[in-house]
Amino acid sequence: MLTRLTLYVAYSLKTSTHYQSVKRFFYDLLKNPQSKIKPYFDIFMILLVISSVSLLLYEIEHKTSKWAILFEDFVVTVFICEYLLRGWIYSDIHNLIIKQHEKTEYLGSTFHLHKVVILIINNKISYLLSPSAIIDLLAILPSYRPLRILRIFLIFRLFKLFRYSQSIQMFTGVLKNKRFELTTLAIFMSFLIFIASTAIYMFENQNMGGQVTDLYDAFYWAIVTVSTVGYGDITPVTTGGRLVTSALIITGLGVLAFFTSIIVAAFNEKMSEFQEERVKAHIEKLTDTTILCGFGRVGQDIALQLHANKHHFVIIDNNEQHITLAKQQGYVTLFADASRNSILERAGINNGAKAVLCTTNNDITNVYITLTSRYLNPDITIISRANHEENAKKMLQAGASYIVQSFNIAGLLAAEYIGHPVAFEAIHGILHGQKDIQMEALNICGDCYLTGLSIEEANFNQYKTRLIGVISKNPIHAKRRNRYKLHNQHFYFNPDPSFILYEGDILVLLGRELGIEYLHDLIITSRLQKTLEKPL
Amino acid sequence: MSFELISQLNDKEKKLIILDADPIKIEQALQKELPAQLMDYRQDENLITLGIGSSIETIFCFLESDSENVFLTLSARVLDKKIKIISVVNQPESAEKLLAAGANKIIDPFEICSKKAYQLLTKPSITWLLDEAVFGRADLHMAEILIPENSYLDKTLISELHLNKLHNLFLIGVVDKELGEKLYFSLGEQEHVLDTGDILVVLGSNRDIKNFKKEIGVIE
Repeated sequence: MLTRLTLYVAYSLKTSTHYQSVKRFFYDLLKNPQSKIKPYFDIFMILLVISSVSLLLYEIEHKTSKWAILFEDFVVTVFICEYLLRGWIYSDIHNLIIKQHEKTEYLGSTFHLHKVVILIINNKISYLLSPSAIIDLLAILPSYRPLRILRIFLIFRLFKLFRYSQSIQMFTGVLKNKRFELTTLAIFMSFLIFIASTAIYMFENQNMGGQVTDLYDAFYWAIVTVSTVGYGDITPVTTGGRLVTSALIITGLGVLAFFTSIIVAAFNEKMSEFQEERVKAHIEKLTDTTILCGFGRVGQDIALQLHANKHHFVIIDNNEQHITLAKQQGYVTLFADASRNSILERAGINNGAKAVLCTTNNDITNVYITLTSRYLNPDITIISRANHEENAKKMLQAGASYIVQSFNIAGLLAAEYIGHPVAFEAIHGILHGQKDIQMEALNICGDCYLTGLSIEEANFNQYKTRLIGVISKNPIHAKRRNRYKLHNQHFYFNPDPSFILYEGDILVLLGRELGIEYLHDLIITSRLQKTLEKPL
Repeated sequence: MSFELISQLNDKEKKLIILDADPIKIEQALQKELPAQLMDYRQDENLITLGIGSSIETIFCFLESDSENVFLTLSARVLDKKIKIISVVNQPESAEKLLAAGANKIIDPFEICSKKAYQLLTKPSITWLLDEAVFGRADLHMAEILIPENSYLDKTLISELHLNKLHNLFLIGVVDKELGEKLYFSLGEQEHVLDTGDILVVLGSNRDIKNFKKEIGVIE
C-alpha cells in the first residue's frame, strides 16, 4: 500500500506542471548561472551576510538590542530556507523512485521501498557533505542557543560569500585545477614542519636550556619560521637549534616560492579561458548583432561604421594580429576559425544575430563561411565579399543574400565617374552620409495615416522631401508602369499621383534629414494613435 | 585585379587600351581579346607617343602598388594639365599622395567594399536602387543633361519643369554654373532659374531620358 502511494505521488509530481515550474523557479533563483534573477538574489544574500557579521562584531562590545535579535532571527530564517531549498533542488526524489521502479519492472524483480529510501538518503547525504552545504550549515548552527559556544563559527557566514561571487568561484576553480601540486606541497610541508618541530624540541627543550616548553611550542615555532615570518618570541640558543633554524628558513623560502609559482601558473593557464567565458557571456547579452568574419582592411572599415552607429557586432578572425588590433579598439572578438559551426554558434548565429558578413580576402573562405552560416540559420542575412567575378555565383548558391564585389564595383564606379562626375559625387555623398541629404526607405505600416492615401493626397513635397518611388510586393500595383524587379518585390519608379499606398509598401524618399525624420515620426505617432483608439 | 575593372569599363563603348610592363599580363589581356600593349610606363617618351598630352582623354592608374600609381599620375600630370586621372589606391595613407600628385579621382576598393557591405546591412533596398541607377543594370539610369544654347529651358524655373509628370523623369538636382560646381538637390526648398550651361541630374529609363534630350535639343 505504502509502495503504491509512493509511486503514485512520484508519478503525479513528474507530470505536475505547477510543481515543475515552482522547482524551476527556485533552480533559476539559486543555481542557474544564466538566469536573470540569480544576480539579484546573490547581491541580497551578500548584503545579508555582511550585515549579520557586522552586527556580530558590533555586539562584541555593545549591548544586544531587541531589533538586533529580530534581525538575527530573520537572517537565520532566510539561511535555513535557502539551505532546505538547495537540498530540495539538489536532486529529484520522484525521478529516483520512478527510475528504480522502471528498473525493477524491466528486470521483473519486486520493487522494495527500503532500497529506494536508502538511495534517496545517500543522494541527500552527498548534498549535506558537499563543502558549500557544510558552510551553509555552519553559518546557521551557532544561532541555536545551546550551541552558543560555536559563536566563532558565525564568521563562517563570510564563507557563504563564495557561493554568490563569481570571482571567488573562479579562484577556487583555479585552486582545484592545481590540486595535485598543492597536495604534494602540503605533504612536503607537513613533513618539513614535523621534522623541524621535533628537531627543535630535541635541541631547545628547557632541559637543554632552550625556550621551547613543549611540542606545541615547537610546532608553533616551526610554522612561524617556515613561513619566513619569524616573530622572534622563541629563538634558538643552542648550536643544533640554530642549525635547524637556518635549514628551515632556507627550505621555507623554497616552499613559498613554489607555492606562489603554482598559483601564478594556474591563473595564467586559466586566464584565456576566463576571458573567453566573459566574451561569451557578453555576446549572449547582445541582440541584433552582426557577425563580422574577417578583420582585414574591409572588416576594419565596416567595424568602424558599425561602431560609429552603435550597432552591436562580434568579430571573428583567426589572424592574431587582426585580433589584437580589434581588441585594442575595444570590440567584442573571437579568436577562431569562423567556418566552424561551434564558433558561429558561440557568436550567436541562432541567438540574437541578424546578419553575417564574410569579409575575408579569400573567396574560398567566404564561400565556406556563407555555406556554414546558411546551414546553421536559414533566415539570417548573409553578405559576402567576392574578389573574383566567377565566385559571386558560387556564393549565391551557397546561400548569400547579397554579394559585394569589391573590384567590380571599383571598376563600375570608375566608368561611371567618366560619364557623370557630378551625379557620381552627389550619390556618393548621400550614400556615405557626408551631406545631410538622405535617401531613406520608410515602411508603411497597417495603422499609419498614409495607408489608403494616394500619392497626391500624401503630398510629400510639403515636408520638403521627394518621392523617388515605392517598393512593394502588393499585386494591386502590378499594372502600374515603371516597374522594376527587386528580389521578390517590385520597385515602382516615379509613381503617378493616383498611386494608392497600402500596408507593407516602402517609400523611397530623397530629402533632408530633418524632413525625413519628421515624416517618420508622423507615421509612427499616427500608428500609435490608431492603436490607442482601437479598443475604444 | 585590373582585368575585372577593364572588362567593366570596356562595356562603356569607349576606346580603351591596356598598358603593362609585364609581358605575361599583356598576353592574358590579348587572350581575352582586349586591346593591350606592352609598354614601360615609366618612360615619358612612351607616354607621349601613346598620345598623353594630345589625344588621350582619361588615364586609369590601376597598377598594383601605390608607389607605381603615384609615379604614373605624376608623369601624366606633367605631360598634360587637363587629362583626367583616376587612380586606384590600396593603402588609405596613399590617397593624399595621389591627390597631391594630381589625380582627379581616387578609388579605394577596400573602402568601397566595406561601405557597400554596410549599406546592404542597413538599407538594402536603397542600395539596390542606387546600384541599378548608378551601374545601370536595370533600365534605370542616372544622366547629366547639359542645357544647350537657345533651349526653351533657358530662364525657366525648376518648379515649372514638372519632369516627373511630363517626362517620367526624377530630377535629383541641378548644377548652376553661376554658383559653381556644386550640385543643388531639388527638394523644393529654393527656386532656381535655369540658364544655358546648367546641368540637370535626372533619374529615369533610357527611353525617357532620350526623349527628353531630344525635346530640349541636346540630341537630334
